Amino acid sequence: MSWALHRIDDRLIHGQVLVAWGARLDPARIWVVDDGVAASEWERVLFREAAPGIDVRVASVAEAAAAHAAEAEAPRAAFLLVRDLETARRLAEAGARVTEWNVGGLHYAPGKEKVNDYVYLDERDRESAKALLAAGARLIVQDVPASRPLPLGALDPALAP
Amino acid sequence: MSTPQAGDSAGVTPPRARVPALIVTHADLAQALVRAAERVVGSIEDVTLLSNEGLSRDDLEDAIEASVRDWKEGGLLLTDFWGGSCHTCGASAARRHGEVVIVTGINLPLLLDYLHNRDRLSASELAERLQQKGRDSIRVQRGVPA
Repeated sequence: MSWALHRIDDRLIHGQVLVAWGARLDPARIWVVDDGVAASEWERVLFREAAPGIDVRVASVAEAAAAHAAEAEAPRAAFLLVRDLETARRLAEAGARVTEWNVGGLHYAPGKEKVNDYVYLDERDRESAKALLAAGARLIVQDVPASRPLPLGALDPALAP
Repeated sequence: MSTPQAGDSAGVTPPRARVPALIVTHADLAQALVRAAERVVGSIEDVTLLSNEGLSRDDLEDAIEASVRDWKEGGLLLTDFWGGSCHTCGASAARRHGEVVIVTGINLPLLLDYLHNRDRLSASELAERLQQKGRDSIRVQRGVPA
């Protein structure tokens, strides 16, 4: 069972993940993969306590890549969250086999172009997206289960196949 | 007969600064809650409203911090639900500022109780009280009592 959702979302753990995807897929564990969060004891505690009843594991990219294959065999469902495309690419390059990424929320920041209401990309994001696509991963844009999933390449001409 | 000291005689409460509040929610729930509360108690001041709509984690945290940094003696952050971005970003922002206490699960009775008590309790006392009030306000009635 295990991996039920690999999600790229700059809010990491938040309402859409816990309530919408959580109700649909019932995860027993959520891996928050982020070098910055993993390096801060205070933020580790914040995220661990954010999802009562779910085992939240905060890991660096290196730790998550090392644990990824074993977690895939574990009982019940698990989610993995990263905050940006670059972290997703680094996780793949470090050896994690992820066939599909859910692109759930990359919000506006200066220099980023709108792809849809909740996805904004700059050139650096697109480089990471291209690397993930070239390695055979699918990038599927869908904020919540009730919305229609679309390949990122169908929304962003710069990433069209 | 001794002269009464300020604050120690029965019925005299020392003046206390009003505890300010920032309400952070999804969509326009904060505005709607305050509009509803104003129907009950009239015009409301010293409450700031913020939506997480379209904001990244960093931007939401910055927006919350911009509100709470002016609070000299602490205040309350009222958010919609535990584990949501309004809560976790609020926790990150509040951490850098004195007595900012977060209460999640805001509802209309909780907001009204805050308004009634914000001039007499500290942020910490208010938070404890609101947690209880919010819980107690959820009740079930089955059928019509005999």
